[in-house]
Amino acid sequence: MEEEKPSPFADLISGGVWLLFAIGIVAGSWTMDRLVHLKVPVYTAPGLVPGLLGISIAIMGLLMIVRAIRAGALAQAHLPAFSIREHWRLLTALAICFAFALGLMGHGLPFWLATAIFIAVFVFVFQFEERRATGTLLRGAAFAAMFGLICGGVIFYVFQEVFLVRLP
Amino acid sequence: MFDGLQLFAHSIANFATPVTIAYALGACLVGLIIGALPGLTATMGVALMTTLTIALPPNIALLILVCTYVGAIYGGSRTAILLNIPGTPASAASCLDGYALARQGLAGRAMGIATSGSVIGTWIGMLALATLTPVLGEAALKFGAYEFFWLALFGVVISGNLTGDDPLKGWIAGFLGLFVACIGQEGMYAYDRFTFGVHDLSGGISLIPALVGAFGFAEVLTVIKDRPPKIIINAFDTVIPRIQDVTRYWRTVIRSGLIGTGIGIVPGVGEDVAAWTSYAAARRASAEKEKFGKGSIEGLMAAETGDNACVPGSVIPVLTLAVPGSAPAAVLLAAMLIHGVQPGPLIMVNSPQFVYDVVTMMLFASVGILIYGLTLTQLLVKILQVPQTLVMPVVFVLCVVGSFAIASRMFDIYVMLAFGVLGFILRRFNYPMAPLVLGIVLGDLLDKNLRRGLTLSDGDLSPFFTRPISFVMFLLVAGTILMNVPAFSNTVSRLWAGAIAPLRRKSRGA
Repeated sequence: MEEEKPSPFADLISGGVWLLFAIGIVAGSWTMDRLVHLKVPVYTAPGLVPGLLGISIAIMGLLMIVRAIRAGALAQAHLPAFSIREHWRLLTALAICFAFALGLMGHGLPFWLATAIFIAVFVFVFQFEERRATGTLLRGAAFAAMFGLICGGVIFYVFQEVFLVRLP
Repeated sequence: MFDGLQLFAHSIANFATPVTIAYALGACLVGLIIGALPGLTATMGVALMTTLTIALPPNIALLILVCTYVGAIYGGSRTAILLNIPGTPASAASCLDGYALARQGLAGRAMGIATSGSVIGTWIGMLALATLTPVLGEAALKFGAYEFFWLALFGVVISGNLTGDDPLKGWIAGFLGLFVACIGQEGMYAYDRFTFGVHDLSGGISLIPALVGAFGFAEVLTVIKDRPPKIIINAFDTVIPRIQDVTRYWRTVIRSGLIGTGIGIVPGVGEDVAAWTSYAAARRASAEKEKFGKGSIEGLMAAETGDNACVPGSVIPVLTLAVPGSAPAAVLLAAMLIHGVQPGPLIMVNSPQFVYDVVTMMLFASVGILIYGLTLTQLLVKILQVPQTLVMPVVFVLCVVGSFAIASRMFDIYVMLAFGVLGFILRRFNYPMAPLVLGIVLGDLLDKNLRRGLTLSDGDLSPFFTRPISFVMFLLVAGTILMNVPAFSNTVSRLWAGAIAPLRRKSRGA
């Protein structure tokens, strides 16, 4: 479970991102309406607090950049090679989850059915390798469909019928 | 004193109905399972239960949330002992000695120690909750805009300092949270900030969807990105706690309970720091230092007592200042507001009964974990063996439902997705999540009170530094930051060593 520590170069990149983000916040706060027409004093202008937060984040981003450079970030400067094969689990999970939340939810499909489809696909995809190795793909598909239907039904019943919670 | 006891007795009488007890036991069980399953945290559990209980009466809903919270913090110890994986971050310290005991064939005894430590820890924290809340509530009445500004800033700074291993990243996460809280219509002039014309953003970023994303969806991605390891569970003996394990280490139990409660009171620090600090203090004071990390009963007892004592401790600032002591307590605070409860300095004036209701909820939760601690081991072992490919899609569905249910807005689902991805990326870069959450909770407090304070003083900054409580809080904030600057911390250490050297010489001479 232990997360590996990011390299100084990764810190350099994240420091740079924070700096840019903070500059955006400061610029947005500076150009924000100061409500002078309402005779609002400058020290209660809506942009005051976000502006101060932006300046603070910018300083911290700069500190991070300096720290990363002192730790040798420039010597190790290279973008990590991104391989889809290595990250297929993450990318697939992202794709399935987004498809469910943005595509299936709130578009007329009954909640229990959308949930059943999502869970079945998720389970089948992430058990695929194991099932193929043991030659139980069909059984795996049947299990995933059954598991999805049971979960969809139970979640729908518990939330909507028992606890009266509105579902998407 | 007697008023308090009377209110407490009244609360117990109110809650002691079969239906309420059934809800409490059910919530403890849910919490225990959430805590035991690696990847599901107490924060996420409490956030999801907030949505599930939204239609229930406030007292029942909050009882369920408190029981889930206590159950989850306790449940993490099971996984720590049996699998050497902390079920929740709070149980990381329990892995060291809990798993070592399990490898010696003493997993049952270790679980017994965890049960007794957790129950006693909750009781110590509960006692503090009952006695300190009225006192702190009275002190909080002296807080004005200046003090609340510093309190909000202190919460984010101390949380960033202690919850990760890199204070700078913790502070960035905290300040990001403060900024997120600024998005939407601000409280003084109803002016839209950083909404870019998106109507849904005017209401701001809701805490629950953001939390569910950062702790739930991000966790789903973190767990699923790697192939799950094979689960091997050690054999275990009886889980019934031994009285002599408690009586032999009573000093450690009380010390850890007090440390846990104290850390709980500090805004935004939370159970994992409580467990580690209690563990370190126990090790320093122990006559059996060499056993720590190799199966020390004292070490496990300290960690488990500390993290569970932190739960009631973290609720104390929620009730008295409306500032959460930990990430799950932040959800609890949000749930209180959703259910129309107004925590803050006036709680002892307006609704003192509620404080004792929360004490009673803690009592019910501790009884719940005691019952399950003695009876549920086999079932939990079976649950731990359920593959994560089956658990994670269900968790994601709950994340979607949980985000939507609060306000029935699709926009909240988008917020959950965005914070899930953001949380996942931030965690990969070693940014802690607790300061981010605390920042979102405290952002409004900081914003309003800075501007309110400046209005009261007509733009003069001096009251922020000259009022006694403000000055102390300013010193705390500045000290917390400066102690991370090597030159400053070395000077302080040198001055401290110089100051206590004569005392040491005196005690040696005596």
